[in-house]
Amino acid sequence: MSSDEAKKLSHAATADAGPVITQKSLNDDVLRMISKPGRLWWIIFIIDLMILAVGLIAERNQILYGIGVAGHTRPVMWASYVANFVFWVGIAHCGTLVSAILFLFRSHFRRAVYRVAEAMTVFGVLTAGLFPLLHTGRPWFAYWLFPYPNQRQLWPNFRSPLEWDVFAVTTYLTVSSIFFLVGIIPDAAVARDRTNNRWLKLIYTVFSMGWTGSNNQWKNFYGAYLYFAALATPLVLSVHSVVSWDFAMSQVPGWHSTIFAPYFVAGAIFSGVAMVINLLIPIRKAFKLEHIVTVDHIEKLSKLVLLTSSIVGYSYLCEFFSAWYGPSKVERDLFWWRATGHFAWAFWIMFTCNVIIPLSLWFKPVRRNMGLLFVLCLSFNVGMYFERFVIIVTSLAHPFNPSTWDVNYRMSWTEGAILAGSFAWFFMFFLIFVRLLPAFSIAEIKETLTAPMRRKPS
Amino acid sequence: MIGMLGKLVDKLLAGPKANYRGVMGVYYYVDDATEAVKTLREQGHQGLSVFSPVPHHDIEHALGQKSSLVRWVTFTGGLLGITGGFSLCIYAGLSYPMVTGGKELISIPPFVIIGYESMILLAGISNLIGMLALARLPQTQSRAPYDPRFTEDKIGIWVPCSGDEARKVEQLMRGNGAEEVKVHG
Repeated sequence: MSSDEAKKLSHAATADAGPVITQKSLNDDVLRMISKPGRLWWIIFIIDLMILAVGLIAERNQILYGIGVAGHTRPVMWASYVANFVFWVGIAHCGTLVSAILFLFRSHFRRAVYRVAEAMTVFGVLTAGLFPLLHTGRPWFAYWLFPYPNQRQLWPNFRSPLEWDVFAVTTYLTVSSIFFLVGIIPDAAVARDRTNNRWLKLIYTVFSMGWTGSNNQWKNFYGAYLYFAALATPLVLSVHSVVSWDFAMSQVPGWHSTIFAPYFVAGAIFSGVAMVINLLIPIRKAFKLEHIVTVDHIEKLSKLVLLTSSIVGYSYLCEFFSAWYGPSKVERDLFWWRATGHFAWAFWIMFTCNVIIPLSLWFKPVRRNMGLLFVLCLSFNVGMYFERFVIIVTSLAHPFNPSTWDVNYRMSWTEGAILAGSFAWFFMFFLIFVRLLPAFSIAEIKETLTAPMRRKPS
Repeated sequence: MIGMLGKLVDKLLAGPKANYRGVMGVYYYVDDATEAVKTLREQGHQGLSVFSPVPHHDIEHALGQKSSLVRWVTFTGGLLGITGGFSLCIYAGLSYPMVTGGKELISIPPFVIIGYESMILLAGISNLIGMLALARLPQTQSRAPYDPRFTEDKIGIWVPCSGDEARKVEQLMRGNGAEEVKVHG
C-alpha cells in the first residue's frame, strides 16, 4: 500500500470521520464504552441469560434421558450438533484472519475492527468446542479425547480426522486466546490508569500485567506480536481444513471431495466477516463511535465478504460439475437429490443467501448503507448455517444403500433449544466483553494518528 | 468484610515502596523526545528508558535498539512442538498397535497434522513466555517513576543518575522541549 493510500485509511484523514481524533479523545471515546452499563444492556443481558437457561434445560434433559432426545436417526447420526460445531468454528475464523493475516499484509483498516473480531473468535471457539462434547452424550468423558498416559497404554487413534480436530481446535482456542489477551495488555493499562473504581483497577492491573509502555516492553511486544500473527495465519487456514477433513476423509457421497478444505476455509471467512459486520454496526451506533469505526472500514470488510462469497459460489458449482462429470452414479444422484429432494428448501436457502444475495455487494451504495448491510449479513449467516446443514444431513440421508433413503431426520426441540442456547452463550461473553474490556485497540488506532511533531518533518 | 478486602486491594495496587534515583522528563513532541534521547546518549548516559503510549520508530533508532530476541524462544518452542507431536504419534502407534488392513503402524501423512498443530501450539505458548520474560512482565514495580499520562499522549524519558549529573540532565531536558522535569532521589 502506498503512503497516500495508508493516509486515506488512517483516522486522521478520513473524510467521514466527523470530529478530529486526538490521543486523549480516543482514550475517552473507547473507555466510555466500559463505564457503568445502562438499562438497555441489562435488558439484553437478562433476555440472553433466559435463552441460555432454556438451552441448559435442554442439555440437562439430554444428559438425563440420553442422546435419543435429539432427532438423530439412522443413517443421519450427525446432524444439527455437528452443523453447529462447523458453524461456530467458521464464525471463529474471521477474528484471526482480520488480526493476523491483515496484520502481515499491513492493511491499516484492520486496526479499528480487529479487537471485536478477535473477541468473536475466542467466544466462537468456546461455543464451537461445546458441540462435539454435547454430541458424545456423555460430556464428562471428554478428557478421553486427549492423549494422556494411562495404565492400559490406551492412546487415541492419531490416524483419525476426529483426533486431528481435537488438536486443531484446542490449538486454535489456545493461540487465539493468547493473541487476544496479549493484544489487550497495553489497552488494559490505559483503562487501569483512567479508572477510579478500585475493583475495576484491580481487574485492569491483572489484564495489563503492570504494563508501563517502556521501550523494552514495546520492543518485545511487537516482536512477539509479529510471530503470533505469523503463527496464527497458517493455523487459521489449517483449522478449518482439518474440520473439513472430518467429512472429506470418509467415502460418503457428497463428502468425499478434495475441494473441501479451501471451500470450507472460504465459507468460514465469509460467515465470520459477515458476523463481525453484524456486531460492529450496532456497537458503533450504540456507543456513537462512527468516527472510529468508519463507513470505509465496514465497506472494506464487506468487500472481503464479496470475495469469499464468490469462492463459496464457485465451490458449490464445482461440486455439481464434478458430480456430473465424474464417474460415480451415486454422487450424481445425491447432488440431484440435494437440489430437488426432501431437503431442497434448505439447499435453495443456502444457495440464495450465499451466492445470489451477496452479488448485491458489487454495488457501492449497498456496501455503504449500514442498515441494509446489517440485514444482508444476517442473511449470509442464515445461509451459512444451512450450508453446514445441507452438507451434513443430505449427504448422510442419501448414502450408497437406497433402502436407507427414507428420510426421517427432524430437528428435535432439544436440538433447537441447544442451538438457541449456543447463541446466548456466545452473546453472554460478548456482552460482558464490551462492558469490561476496551473493544477497540486504543494503542493501534493511536498509531494511525499523526504523531505530534514540533518541527515539520523534512 | 468488603471494606477490609477493599483496603487489601488498595494496598496491593499501591505496590511496594520504590526508591528511584534519576531524572524523569515528560515530553509531548516526538521529535523533541528523539533529540533528547540522541543528546543524552551522545553524552554517555546509559540505561535510558522511554515510556510512550505508542512505539515510535524515531525514538527506537535514537536508542539504538536491537530487534527483540523473542523469535529464538518461539523457534525453540516450535521445534519442540513438531518433534513432540511426531514422537507422541509414533510412540502411541507402537505402544498400542492398531493394525488396520495390514497397513504400517507409523503412517507419516496423518501424523503431519498432529506434528504441525503441536508445532504451532508450542511455538505460540513459548512466544508468549518469551515475550513476558523479555519484557519483564508481569511486573509489580516499574523500573522508573511511572506516570499515567504515558498511556495517554505524553512521552517520558528516564535517565538513571544522581547528584551533579542529575542537575545537568535536568537542564539539558528543559532546554530540549521537556514539558516537565523531575529529579528523583
